[in-house]
Amino acid sequence: MTLSFAHRHVLEDHIVGFETKPNPHHLAVARRPTILSVLSHAGFEAGVKAALQALEGVSVRICGPAEWLAVSHSVGPEALLRLVRAIEGVSAFDHSDGRVLMQITGPNVRKILSKCLAVDIDRDRFPIGASASMQIAHVAGNLARTGEDAFEIIVPRSYAGTLFEEVKEMGREFALTAAFSPE
Amino acid sequence: MASLITCPHCGVRPKEEFSIRGDAVPVRPAPNAGAEAWYAYVYVRDNPKGRIEEHWHHTAGCRRWLVVERDNVTHTVFSVRDAADVAKARSGEVA
Repeated sequence: MTLSFAHRHVLEDHIVGFETKPNPHHLAVARRPTILSVLSHAGFEAGVKAALQALEGVSVRICGPAEWLAVSHSVGPEALLRLVRAIEGVSAFDHSDGRVLMQITGPNVRKILSKCLAVDIDRDRFPIGASASMQIAHVAGNLARTGEDAFEIIVPRSYAGTLFEEVKEMGREFALTAAFSPE
Repeated sequence: MASLITCPHCGVRPKEEFSIRGDAVPVRPAPNAGAEAWYAYVYVRDNPKGRIEEHWHHTAGCRRWLVVERDNVTHTVFSVRDAADVAKARSGEVA
């Protein structure tokens, strides 16, 4: 017997109805990003971090000492896994289907996020490119600043629905719209 | 305030991100240390007032075990160190 699996995004049931144009405050859910969990063996931390950051088309998110998430929208999971595993002193695993990535943008993005964060995300304290694991609406996730007023949230798949609804609720004040990001 | 913990890896974080395991003072005895030593390690605890050392786990952040030295009366936090560094320092190894 052959089984064929169809990919269905976990937030498919949360994003329904006709598509509206994105407002200035918008929550975009990436359909199929590549997300790898990368750990470094003891003593290889600096080398692994530098090698990860040197990879093209890959954004590196800091989770803790010797732990990162490698995110890519252009490189597929298998290809990226091969690249990352070639680095010395590394353990890497594909979490693409286990994590959900959403990007929140808008001039008042900090006001929205500060309703569910207890971490300082001031412009100076959390510069562009900064990332950290933290509690986001009571869910342990990873927050990264990707632009002047743009943040990316990565959460475990099973919590994505909760977090998505929470963020939408908190963004109502600024008419936050939500949709899958265009391919 | 004890409600803000300065994690050595993540910076200032709210206490909601952590789980507290308990006293960090007892040292695990050797496997063959005998029943008395193990009984003391597992069950016997002081109930000190004032400056204490506890194991905190940064569950929602870096997921590292930390040793938090704080005052359980005034909630002042004196120091937060990675538990691995503390263990290394105890065994005399250079961290």
